[in-house]
Amino acid sequence: MKVTRRDFAAGLAVGITAPYLISNARAQAATIKIGMCAPVTGPAAESGGYAIKGAKLALEAVNKAGGILGKQAELIIEDDQTTNPGIVLAFSKLAAQSDIVAFLGSIRSTQVHAMAPDVLKLGKPVMIGGTDPNLTHMGNQWLFRFRPNDSYSGRVIADYGVNTLGKKKWAVLHSTDAFGTAGGKALTSALEKLGAPPVLDQGYANQSQDFTPVVLAIKQSGADILGSYFTFENDLGIFARQLRQLGVNIPWVGSPSIVNITALKLAGPALYGTYGVADYAEDSSEGSKAFGKAYRDVVKVAPDNQSSWPYDAVTVLAAAINKAGSIDPTKIREAILAIKKFPGAEGEYNFDQNGDGLHGYNIVKNDKGNIVFDKHIEFND
Amino acid sequence: MSAPSDNMTMAAAPRSRPLLLRHLPYFIAAAILVALAATMRFDGYILNVLMQATTFAIAVFGLSVVLGLCGQINLAQAAFFGFGAYAVGIGTTDLHLSYWLCLVAGCVMALGAGAFLGMSTLRLGGHYLAMVTISFQQIVTLVMINAIGLTHGPDGVSNIGRPDLFQTGQGYLAFCVAVLAIVGYGVWHLPDTRLGRAMRAVRDNELAAGVSGIDVFRTKVYAFALCAALGGLAGGLFAGGFAYVSPDQFSFAESIVFLTMSLLGGVASPIGSAIGTGLLILIPEWLRFLKSIPGLYLAIYGLFVILIIRYMPDGIWGFIGAALDRWRSRIKAPAAVAPLLLKPATIGGDIVLEVKGLSKYFGGLKAVDGVDIQVKRGGVHALIGPNGSGKTTTLNVLSGLYKATSGKVLLDGTDITTMPPHQRTAAGLGRTFQNIRLFRSMTALENVEIGAERPGNTLIGQGGPAALTERAMEALTFVGLGSRANELISSFSYGHQRLIEIARALAANPTLLLLDEPAAGLNSTEKLELHELLKRIAAQGLTILIIDHDMTLVSEAAQHITVLNFGRRIADGESMAVLRHPDVVSAYLGSE
Amino acid sequence: MDLVLQLLFTGIGIGAVYALVALGFVLIFRATNVVNFAQGEFSMVAAYLMVVFAVDLGWPYWLSFLLALAGMALLGVIFNLGVYYPLRHRTFLPVIIATIGASILMANSVLAIYGPQPQVLQGWFETPGIQLGPVYLDSQYLLIIAVTVVMVIFNYWFFEHTMLGKKLQATSQDKEMASLLGISVSTMIMITFIYSAVLGGLAGILVAPVLFVSIQMGSTIALKAFAATIIGGFGDVAGAIIGGLALGVIETFGAAYISVPYKDGFAFLVLVLFLIFRPQGIFGERVAEKA
Repeated sequence: MKVTRRDFAAGLAVGITAPYLISNARAQAATIKIGMCAPVTGPAAESGGYAIKGAKLALEAVNKAGGILGKQAELIIEDDQTTNPGIVLAFSKLAAQSDIVAFLGSIRSTQVHAMAPDVLKLGKPVMIGGTDPNLTHMGNQWLFRFRPNDSYSGRVIADYGVNTLGKKKWAVLHSTDAFGTAGGKALTSALEKLGAPPVLDQGYANQSQDFTPVVLAIKQSGADILGSYFTFENDLGIFARQLRQLGVNIPWVGSPSIVNITALKLAGPALYGTYGVADYAEDSSEGSKAFGKAYRDVVKVAPDNQSSWPYDAVTVLAAAINKAGSIDPTKIREAILAIKKFPGAEGEYNFDQNGDGLHGYNIVKNDKGNIVFDKHIEFND
Repeated sequence: MSAPSDNMTMAAAPRSRPLLLRHLPYFIAAAILVALAATMRFDGYILNVLMQATTFAIAVFGLSVVLGLCGQINLAQAAFFGFGAYAVGIGTTDLHLSYWLCLVAGCVMALGAGAFLGMSTLRLGGHYLAMVTISFQQIVTLVMINAIGLTHGPDGVSNIGRPDLFQTGQGYLAFCVAVLAIVGYGVWHLPDTRLGRAMRAVRDNELAAGVSGIDVFRTKVYAFALCAALGGLAGGLFAGGFAYVSPDQFSFAESIVFLTMSLLGGVASPIGSAIGTGLLILIPEWLRFLKSIPGLYLAIYGLFVILIIRYMPDGIWGFIGAALDRWRSRIKAPAAVAPLLLKPATIGGDIVLEVKGLSKYFGGLKAVDGVDIQVKRGGVHALIGPNGSGKTTTLNVLSGLYKATSGKVLLDGTDITTMPPHQRTAAGLGRTFQNIRLFRSMTALENVEIGAERPGNTLIGQGGPAALTERAMEALTFVGLGSRANELISSFSYGHQRLIEIARALAANPTLLLLDEPAAGLNSTEKLELHELLKRIAAQGLTILIIDHDMTLVSEAAQHITVLNFGRRIADGESMAVLRHPDVVSAYLGSE
Repeated sequence: MDLVLQLLFTGIGIGAVYALVALGFVLIFRATNVVNFAQGEFSMVAAYLMVVFAVDLGWPYWLSFLLALAGMALLGVIFNLGVYYPLRHRTFLPVIIATIGASILMANSVLAIYGPQPQVLQGWFETPGIQLGPVYLDSQYLLIIAVTVVMVIFNYWFFEHTMLGKKLQATSQDKEMASLLGISVSTMIMITFIYSAVLGGLAGILVAPVLFVSIQMGSTIALKAFAATIIGGFGDVAGAIIGGLALGVIETFGAAYISVPYKDGFAFLVLVLFLIFRPQGIFGERVAEKA
């Protein structure tokens, strides 16, 4: 078939208008709506899928138990494209629907930063998983965190390495993105407080194809323990392999990405014997075990933090709204902040006035590819 | 040469009142849009989409200048966009400066970076420019991410300020729409200004632009810098609109998005840019129903880019605009009022062109070897020789397309040996090409206007549009094509195109006219007409240096002949005597 | 010294990958005067084909390898017919943009089919590498370097000593003249696209065990390969190889001795410096337009 320019133009016109007609035809229903920005496309689309499944799992449980304020709860998902402009658009699209009572934001700190001004403007509660400590300390009262922030992960890594493993010569390696930089800083300052300032503090850019210079730098620094904040699993995989190839076998305590499924698959034996901090560890509590079982039954893969925090966010949010007895944002906020000793998949929630729900981390060990729970380290300040 | 950028800003100034009056509907429409933006009730989502579309459109306008008008590629527009955004971002937050100051600073920084980038690479071809802009883009992104002290790194800058006057979202949007309307007006009229014409000429044919007196390199740098500055302006507005900027908003991928917007709508026009921007912001939003499969809508997006390039080479607006163009070309041109006046300058003495010991070597090949030519004022001087004798090389050295290996060239007493083509033209040299080099996207009139615009042309008064058109019409009428002035070049026959090229050179009122094989490809009637034309030109006292194979034309038209063979002068003198010279005869007929 | 040797090996290994992809660029550029912005995606697609055949279907490695390369040849044909051929009479600009579109299309089609998670592809050899004194040699990098050497030799033999190669040369130098000599220009261009898709694919398959198989793997390599092409002198085969190797080494040493986070910047910085001070590249000819 020969396509003429005219045909093409006509096709283009139809293609452009059609979605409009379709979207207008959608009907409205009387439910309690929760908005969720998740990376359906883009580099983090995989973990986005897990997050959506986690949230849906909680939603089902909530609805089975009678819903929110007697109504069924519904999840409205918008794609944040794994980018900052993407999440700004996605959030504003959700915010425009006035019947949405609360939102789930992103696990990526930089995206939360991007949407934060709009959140403040809208004045409705947003549950987040981004672990940059600043997010709950910058005067935005509508952000509630369902993962322990990086000041805790840094402190836990430092505490475990220094006090449990007894190592004092640290090499700190971190990605130069928002997550890695904040994490690296937290770890360094925690180490300084413990009297063991790192002998090497090294940043790297995401999607590096080669880590030989980094490994050699670690080797030369004479470090006897490595602390790391990796963002992308393929970077972690390449680094781990090169680290072992070049004969560096010092203990290694990493940020949560070191124990996630993709990293385990990519790096394989290169990660055996490493430690990771994990906000979600299946064996760390009854709540974690329960979530793990439910998630495995439905999704058929091992649960991780990508799915556990949205699960907790939806569960806690539903409980808070029910307790508040209203969908008024201020009342929901107060109800969330009043939550204490609430068992979740990630751990026990004790919200502080900043909106941080969790204050500690689990240490897990990679035992020949199996992630086993080692200990939980909790802080009270 | 007067600074062309002045002219550009003049176009939007109230200097030409009737023009502004004619465009009143545009301003009324713009005012209505601004008012709508300020007063209509939008929800946050629509507001964000509109804000993004408005600011992006301004950046895409920049591309329509550099890519559409000037034909140069820029794959770093997002980086320039980022300059503006970060200037406003860092300026209003960390440095506590006024929004306006930051906005201006962002534009200036982008302008400076664009000019620098342009100056360092625009002498090279398109692929190199593509590469350099990509590299620049990557480096800027890396700096944004890693220079944490300055840029806050990947965290980005938040809580960016807005001017007090436009604190509300809608007020600010209205302000952006107003800026869009003003910039759009400027870009819309740019093609009709001196700088704009120069850009189009450069895009259509760089060599011809050079010999028409346009400083090709400078024009490209201006286009590039202007594009960058618009990117900076757009970025500054964007930062104020979203109150948050981070490095991933200014990545290479965004540069590609800008480019695609420009192409989809139609690269040549700001209207196209606006259409393209609007669609490419809205389409992905509408196509979100495809989101259940990651990658699907971006795949479709990629496919569309290919299809658009294939089936709508001039974009959506070009597709619509083609119809308008056909209609426009039927408008009859205003007839010339006065006959063409040629007043060649006479500063030097009796000799108009003095060539002394001119050589041009290509590696070991001596294409021109120590040639002397003296062209007397008035009349027709011919340069002949068999194929490969070095005639065209000589002409190219004379007009500055090649650098002379050694020797001297004096035009009307001025040493032009080392000048680039456009300066020689300014000094009074005019030329045509053997293989016709016209500006193909323009009408005959516009082609000739570019010639008339030669810096140093004393016959166009202040150089206002009316004077240029008049001069160009006179020249076209002189070659007999006045009535077809508003037709596009492609609708003219080969012979007529040659006449337009001559008219373009004549309109500049040169001191010396170089004709490179003007009779090539003409039929016998056309040759006769050409001969007549040469006589009429010579009658006005303009000196002609002609190269041709056609001995009849040469012997009839030229009073003086110089003969080259193997790059050397073998004969020189009065026509008839030279043609009978034994060396010349043997060079042409072969001897031994 | 040990450090320098180790870095040198890695740099050459990475550089060899750039060189292979750069070779594909140069071939297409010489034949069509077009820069193919989708060259990196050829590498990515080939790596995914390997995952399909060798991992998902569990076919023997050598068979999967041959099938993947055959698939790349087919992709080269489709690419030529769908992207380049309809635009062959237009200026370079629309073609560049069409190739950018093709690159977006390919990357996201693979994403749509295969999902975003990176995949693992085993290397050719069982042993991951050998320790040679103080230097650890990754077996996959050794293979990459070896293949690059072989391809350079093959390339030389093919273009200088076979009829087909000479025809391709003639076409890339002067299309009009070639067609007057009875060479089918469109067939030659088709062959060029096939060859360069296969070359790009080869690079992708070789590098996949080291960098893992991901959607982004192609674009990162391609940008560097681009830079290598320019540094070597656009259109020069030997230049592309040397440029690629040089870039790999510069990058690795730059990361080791200057800054790790700015590693990717070195390639582009070197490129910009080259463009400003020596635009013709290491081996290139003059670049100015002729009258």
